[in-house]
Amino acid sequence: MTLDLHAFLLLSLMLFSMGLYAVVARQNLIALLIGVELMLNGANVSFLAFNHYVAPDPAVGKTIVLFVIGLAAAEAAIALSIVIAVYRQRAAIRIGELTDLKG
Amino acid sequence: MTFVTIVALLSVLVGTLLAVSLRSVLHAVFCLALSLAGVACLFLLLDSPFVATMQILVYVGGISVAMVFAVMMSRSPKASMQSERLGHRILGVSVAVPFFGVVGWILLHTDFAVAPERAEGAGSVVEIGRDLLTHYNLVFELLSLALLVAIMGAILLTSRDDSEEASE
Repeated sequence: MTLDLHAFLLLSLMLFSMGLYAVVARQNLIALLIGVELMLNGANVSFLAFNHYVAPDPAVGKTIVLFVIGLAAAEAAIALSIVIAVYRQRAAIRIGELTDLKG
Repeated sequence: MTFVTIVALLSVLVGTLLAVSLRSVLHAVFCLALSLAGVACLFLLLDSPFVATMQILVYVGGISVAMVFAVMMSRSPKASMQSERLGHRILGVSVAVPFFGVVGWILLHTDFAVAPERAEGAGSVVEIGRDLLTHYNLVFELLSLALLVAIMGAILLTSRDDSEEASE
């Protein structure tokens, strides 16, 4: 059995759904960030799968995935430093306790 | 089914499941690293060794390690070990499972066009590099600017100033 386009797309959908679950359900800021990374990776897998099986020019998908990886690195750096800054201010990184902006 | 396929499938499935379900955030980050390495194997299967290398370098080597540091620096026993309330889990499942079902149903009922014949060596590292510096040059430069701003912002956010230290 070799993986075909649909198998790769289902895998990427699985990654994205798991990430969605983590973003909605997890209460720890870093666990939420894990979910975001999983969603980004799911999107990357589907980009490369379409790039390999469907796209006429095979360099485009790889270029886009490289851009996404670069942006994810920037996003992770900012998000992690925000987590550390929040922790320094109030010694808590649970989402339920961060309600200052609630109306 | 080749060895790489088995490794990729196992590590993606197991790693992802554990990464979103483990109570300890530190263990979840390690399982995320396993899952990301599995995704790199998927990229190898998809004939993109260069992207797989970047995935390992940036995600497994960079982001996961940074996350481990963040967990270590922000760990309070009650914060990192408490499990989610049942309501949150039910909410999460009730969002993620219908999404998976609907999109998966659409995927399985779609016939995608097959790629036309490609020239030898299409999509190689040389071609990616040429694309990055010609057609996507503006995006490339903007991305480097965004990375620079992110690095500066991260340093600024995490550095304590003296008044903060004095009050502690």
